[in-house]
Amino acid sequence: MAMAIIFKTVNYTYQPDTPFEQQALDNISVEIPTGSYTALIGHTGSGKSTFLQHLNGLLRPTSGEILIGEQIITTETKNKELGELRKHVGIVFQFPEAQLFEETVIKDIAFAPKNFGKTEAEAEIIARKMARQVGLGEELLTKSPFELSGGQMRRVAIAGILAMEPEVLVLDEPTAGLDPKGRLEMMRMFKRLKEEQNLTVVLVTHQMDDVANYADNVIVLEEGKLIANGTPSEIFSQPDWLVEHHLALPKAGEFALAFEKKTGYKFSTLPLTEVSLARQIASLLHEGGGDVHHG
Amino acid sequence: MGKVLLGRYVPGDSIVHQMDPRAKLILSFFFIIIIFLANNWQSYVLLLTLTIGSIMAAKVNFAFFIKGVRPLIWLILFTVLLQIFFSSGGTIFWRWGPFNLSYFGLINGAYVFCRFVLIIFMSTLLTLTTAPLEIADALEKLMMPLKKIKVPVYEISLMLSIALRFVPTLMDETAKIMNAQRSRGVNFGEGNIMQQIKSVVPLLVPLFVSSFNRAEDLATAMEARGYRGGEGRTKYRVHYWHTSDTTGCAVFVIVMLILLFVRHW
Repeated sequence: MAMAIIFKTVNYTYQPDTPFEQQALDNISVEIPTGSYTALIGHTGSGKSTFLQHLNGLLRPTSGEILIGEQIITTETKNKELGELRKHVGIVFQFPEAQLFEETVIKDIAFAPKNFGKTEAEAEIIARKMARQVGLGEELLTKSPFELSGGQMRRVAIAGILAMEPEVLVLDEPTAGLDPKGRLEMMRMFKRLKEEQNLTVVLVTHQMDDVANYADNVIVLEEGKLIANGTPSEIFSQPDWLVEHHLALPKAGEFALAFEKKTGYKFSTLPLTEVSLARQIASLLHEGGGDVHHG
Repeated sequence: MGKVLLGRYVPGDSIVHQMDPRAKLILSFFFIIIIFLANNWQSYVLLLTLTIGSIMAAKVNFAFFIKGVRPLIWLILFTVLLQIFFSSGGTIFWRWGPFNLSYFGLINGAYVFCRFVLIIFMSTLLTLTTAPLEIADALEKLMMPLKKIKVPVYEISLMLSIALRFVPTLMDETAKIMNAQRSRGVNFGEGNIMQQIKSVVPLLVPLFVSSFNRAEDLATAMEARGYRGGEGRTKYRVHYWHTSDTTGCAVFVIVMLILLFVRHW
C-alpha cells in the first residue's frame, strides 16, 4: 500500500484563544514520498515534535489537511477513525525506553500488535522476529525490561514499534544518549530495515552526518515554518544559507570547505559523506595531486 | 489538564499579591474558623462583604472564582440537600418517611451553601494570589514552633516544595507516555470499565519508574551540591511582615468582633 504523506497548508496552534496561544506549525505544505528516507531538521522549538505528532493523528491540524495513504486528517477527524492509521505509522519517540512497562521483554514487544488485533500467538511470533531484527539475544526475552542496560532498553522499545509492522517508521532522535558505537549500529539497523521491509522512514535528528549518510529527502523547519525541502546535496549546497539559519554542515562537508580554503582547490560537488570525501581526495591525488598548493 | 492545579496562580501586583504569604495563610484559616460563628443572614452578609472586598483588593477576574466552585458543585449540592431534607423545625411543608422539608431545613441549606461558597472563594483567593512555593515557605515558617516537639518541619516543607516543583514535570511526562502508548494502539478513555482500567497500566508503570529514577537523581544532585538538611539554611525568598499585613489581620479581627455582636442580634 502506498503511504505517501502530504501536508496541505497545515496550521497547528496550541491552546488557541487563550493567553498561552502558540502557533507551532505555520502554513506547512510538504510531501514525504513513499519509500523515501526523509530527515526532519530544525532547532528546538521549530515545530518538529508537533509535526511528528501529526503523522499518526496524535494531533490534528487546526486548519489545513494531511493525506496519509488513503486517510485524510482534518481538524474534524474523529479519534476513532485514526486507529487504522496508527497501525501503519509507527513512531519511536525520543527516549522511547520510557514507554516500557510489561513484565518481560517479549510481552512488551508484543504489546502493540496485540492492541492492533493480532492474537497472543501471532503477536509473540512477530515479537520474536523483531527482537532478532534489533539484535536482542534470545536469553533477554524473558527478563524484565527494567533489568536491561539503557541501550538494550532502547532496542526493546524500537522492536515494540517495529512489531506493529508499520509502513512508515518515524524516528525522533533515536540515537540520543547512546555511545558512538551504539549510535552507528542503530543507524545501520534502520537503514537495513528500511531496505528489507520497504519502509518509508522519517528521521528527526540534529546529526547532520546522519542526514548526509542516510537521508534522500530533507525537510527544514524554523519557527513552525517550512524553510527548505530537498535532497541533502541541495540543502547543504549553500553554506552561507546554513549559517544564516544556524544549521551546520556534515563533518565531511566542513572538512572539504576547510580544505578548499587552505589549498585553493575547488571540489566539483561538495562531498557530504566521509566516503565521497575520501573518494574525491583519492581521485585528486591520483590525477596528480601536485596541483594542490600546500599553503 | 495542565491547568488544573498550578495554572491557578495569577501573577499580579495588587495589595493582596504583595502581602506576606504567612499573613494570607493565617487569614485564610482564620476566615474558615470564623465562618462557623455566622448564624443569621446578617452575619453572612457581613462575611460576603469581607470576601468581595478581599477579591476586589486582589484585582483578579471574578470568573476564576466561579471556576473554583465548579468542580465541587456536586459535593456542595449533596450536602445542601442533606441539610434540607434531614433537619426539622419550624413549619413543615412536606414529609415522606425520614425525609421532611421544613422551614429550618431550607434556611440551613442556604447557610451551608453560603458557607461552602465563601470558603472556596477565600481559599481560591489564596492560591490565585500566592505562588505555590510561597505557600510552602509560609507553611515552613508557621510550623517552626512545632520543631520543639520534634516535628520534622524542614523535611515536611522540602517534601512540599519538591512535590509542587515536580507537578508540571510529571504532567509533561504523562502527556509524553500517553502519546507513546497511543501510538502503540492504546485507547485511553474508551471502551468499558475493564478496558479503561487496563489502559491505565501502561501509563502508570512507566510514570512510577521514571519518578523513582528522578527521585534518586535529585537526591544525588542535592547531595553533590552540599545539601545537609534544612538546619541553618538561609532562604532565597525572604519575607517581611509589612504594615499592610498587620492591617489585613486587623480588618479580619474587627470583622470577627462585629460577627460576635451580630450573632446575638
